[in-house]
Amino acid sequence: MAELSTKERMAIKFVHMPLNKAELRIHNFEEVPVGYTLEQAKQEAQRCIQCKKPGCIEGCPVGIDIPAFIHLIEQGKVAEAAKKIRETNFLPAACGRVCPQDKQCQALCVVGKKAEPVGIGGLERFAADWEREHGTYILPEIPAATGKKVAVVGSGPAGLTAAYELRIRGHEVVVFEAFHRGGGVMVYGIPRFRLPLDIIDEDIHMLEKIGVQFVYDMIIGKVLTLDDLLVNEKFDAVFIASGAGLPKMLGIKGENSSGVYSANEYLTRIYLMQALKFPKYATPLYQGKRVAVIGAGNTAMDTLRTAKRLGADVTCYYRRTRAEAPARTEELEHAEQEFLNWKWLHNPVEIIADENNFVKAIKCEKMALSEPDSSGRRKPVGTGEFVVDDVDTIVFSLGCDVNPIIPSTDKEVRINKWGIVMVDQKTCQTSKPGVFAGGDAITGGSTVILAMGQAKNAAVGIDRYLKGELKWADANVPTDPNAPGVQWEGRFSAGKR
Amino acid sequence: MTERTKAIIEQINMDNEEAIGKALAQSEKLTDLSAEEKAELAAAYSTLFFHDYAGRSGMTRLAMRAEKQIAKFGASVLGFLISELTDADHESSAHFGRAIAANGKDAVQPVMDALNKNRENDFAMINLLGALAYFRDGETLKAMPEILVAAKAKNPQVRSAALYAAGRLARHIGSDAFDAGTTLKMFDTAFEALTDRVPLVRYNAARALGKMLTKGMLTGEQEGKMGKKFDGILGKENNWDNAFIVRHEAAKYVQYFRQDGSAKNKYFQSFRVLQKRELCPDTYYYTIQAPLIAKKLEAGQFIIIRPSEYSERIPLSICGWDREKGTINIIVAAAGRTSREITQMPVGACLADIVGPLGQKAHVKKHEGTCVVIGGGYGTGAVMPTARALKALGNRVIGVVGARNKSLLLMVDELKGICDEVMTTTNDGTDGIQGFVTHALEAILKRGETISHVLAIGPVPMMIAVSNMTKPLNIETYVSLNAIMVDGTGMCGACRVSVGGQTKFACFHGPDFNGHEVDFDQLMKRQKMFVAQEKEALAAAE
Repeated sequence: MAELSTKERMAIKFVHMPLNKAELRIHNFEEVPVGYTLEQAKQEAQRCIQCKKPGCIEGCPVGIDIPAFIHLIEQGKVAEAAKKIRETNFLPAACGRVCPQDKQCQALCVVGKKAEPVGIGGLERFAADWEREHGTYILPEIPAATGKKVAVVGSGPAGLTAAYELRIRGHEVVVFEAFHRGGGVMVYGIPRFRLPLDIIDEDIHMLEKIGVQFVYDMIIGKVLTLDDLLVNEKFDAVFIASGAGLPKMLGIKGENSSGVYSANEYLTRIYLMQALKFPKYATPLYQGKRVAVIGAGNTAMDTLRTAKRLGADVTCYYRRTRAEAPARTEELEHAEQEFLNWKWLHNPVEIIADENNFVKAIKCEKMALSEPDSSGRRKPVGTGEFVVDDVDTIVFSLGCDVNPIIPSTDKEVRINKWGIVMVDQKTCQTSKPGVFAGGDAITGGSTVILAMGQAKNAAVGIDRYLKGELKWADANVPTDPNAPGVQWEGRFSAGKR
Repeated sequence: MTERTKAIIEQINMDNEEAIGKALAQSEKLTDLSAEEKAELAAAYSTLFFHDYAGRSGMTRLAMRAEKQIAKFGASVLGFLISELTDADHESSAHFGRAIAANGKDAVQPVMDALNKNRENDFAMINLLGALAYFRDGETLKAMPEILVAAKAKNPQVRSAALYAAGRLARHIGSDAFDAGTTLKMFDTAFEALTDRVPLVRYNAARALGKMLTKGMLTGEQEGKMGKKFDGILGKENNWDNAFIVRHEAAKYVQYFRQDGSAKNKYFQSFRVLQKRELCPDTYYYTIQAPLIAKKLEAGQFIIIRPSEYSERIPLSICGWDREKGTINIIVAAAGRTSREITQMPVGACLADIVGPLGQKAHVKKHEGTCVVIGGGYGTGAVMPTARALKALGNRVIGVVGARNKSLLLMVDELKGICDEVMTTTNDGTDGIQGFVTHALEAILKRGETISHVLAIGPVPMMIAVSNMTKPLNIETYVSLNAIMVDGTGMCGACRVSVGGQTKFACFHGPDFNGHEVDFDQLMKRQKMFVAQEKEALAAAE
């Protein structure tokens, strides 16, 4: 195939990833985008102009060499493309599906300035799926054992990435997970129609094959404290990736009524505990005919679409407008195709329950957006006008605070007033020597890819620490309780998850 | 020969079921037998052991009665029995073995002496090892080194008899009696014997390991090693054991290995049921192996259990633990689908998951006045750790146990071992004070005792009644809230409760809360959230 000129490349039309039809997909839990075919992928890959100063790499928290892997796909060398991605990203199949590319790589795509940006996420997913389906993946070589042992707390995206990065540097790695299966938020929080389970299991299996040990049903902080790990169990370092597991509620009247869930509970019942297969699986789910979901982040979209698939009439309540919704654009679009109701500028003020404490209705105040303030944000303000809607199930999807178990059992790990673990921004060192942290535990709720990016950072930090190149005295861990959690210093603010 | 023994012996020698039955009945009544008489009767009865009873079940039963009779003769006939045993054929050796073993620990040393004396006599060794297999006393483990030496003897029959004995002892002597060194040696010996040339030896080795496994004697590492080996025996790795009896035996224990192979490492906990005791219908007391959890449990904390892949995760209170043995104790009452599933699990089975310790420690300190711990239903077990902790701080602790009737009162004796005093109340007056637990509280106050701390755990109406009673009296009262939970670590928020007007998570902030501040009405209603689904789940399981 002759090399195409930039002009020719720009002329190629954007290849939309085919989706399952909305009318059909709201009745099942199958993945919504069906993935590119090889032809489609090649065509989409041709749209990449292979620019000299690629913005996309800068936009990727883990710095994948995007033009290089796209070029390999264009040449039909898909297995090599997947290998290229694997150099920097250990969970490509998951990231291709759940990364907010529209706010990261694709937002900085040069092609995107004049036309649709290159479908980087779709291509990444294509390469990863190809690799999995064709079995072309080769296990990385593990160097000679360094004799150092690292404990990783949590098996979500940050934990798995850190485990991988540390293992391929020759350290012994043990992952401790509180649940009975690995994957963390990718299992209990992300729906199967966005991320099938076998993808996560494949990655965990791969880690097991390269010698990472997994310990389930183990609560670090309770069964083994950080000191137990560092002193008694002789771990040389600990990486806390325990995530953001403490759901926020609004604190309004009636929120403890039956039929009011946090998104975490709702999704956990369905996806981790398999309430979908009730009564074969014993975990029940109570869901009525009219479901209200509060919030408009990615988790809210997941909840809305899950409730719809369970046959309810579903409405989204958000106190700002669609423009401010923190969800990934693609999720918002997919959700909008799925016959949901949207109530923008509605702020719930009270939940009305019947005499048995079951939800009957939700009372909202209609909001309006103020003029932009100094930070450019338009705050929602109440209009004094109230509406009452009949609903029988309410799911709060307002984000999470950091899980308090480890900080509450080890005071040496410093947290800020929101409970976020304070770390050195560069090395992910905490205030306790030998202990590093990453993922949602240090951001207070973010995305899979950001957690992975931090985990990579932390793995480098841990590796340096184990080699004696990193001293704890040099760590710059904020002491101010008002200090914010770690923010990604990319050019675009990250969406929720 | 005295008159009375002569008559009995004559009847025995008639080889007639009726006559022997009569003889046994007569001798069972005799109490003041002399040593000489005992020896004569033992010799006569032991002739019964040598008969070929094929098809005559009545005679077999008589022979077993004779065993018991001989056993009663005690130490004076042991020498005779052991010497007979060393010459006995296979059938009769079992009778002699049982008769000897029935003497308990007194017989251990004589059998060991005989073992030493007969080192070169394989035939005697086999019979002696067979006799050891019938012992039930912890003292028998003294003979374990001898048994394990025999397990490496030249004669395969001796090896297999030794392994058989080891397996029997593992099965019938409580795992508590085994020290780590003995267990380790037993495991290593039996494990090595799995590759023995002779199938019967391999069979008995697999059996011994299986018994050790089901009794929870193995460490995670040993269990992992054994699981892999058994998989091999069953042909999961292309080199199966070519003897059916070995494969068949190995297959019996596969269900007892934790299914999740990846978890078999240092931090592996088998969550095996070691003991199970019925307290009242549908309510069981369990001892479960969970060494890491047992090490860290504190009074007031709880665990989450998921008995199988298909079950819910349910929170359960702890009624005790043994940090040394690595066990935890729980009481489970069959209520919903998942708790019913737990109550159906036999000794030796493994629960899929146990997560804990969860929640905050109980609020214990030294109080001026009396502390009262109140348990209703299965909550009685849950107050025990806190009662122990209060007692350890030097408090005067009174336990109150309430139930509908006497047969439903749980753990009263155990609580008596902890508290200074235990009072019981029953609704129908069949035991203790007639009425409710609050009546016991009233009785304590009436006799002039100052109560400064109350802990109530049980059904919500009981906790309400106690809180309502103590609130006007300003007595510090804690209750343990059994809210619906999913993950138990604070991640899902299913267990939200209102305490003092604020939303708290029972799993993280609790489970113990100030009873005067809890919104019980909301708790009760939230507990009923899934009533319809629970019925459906239960119906589906049956």
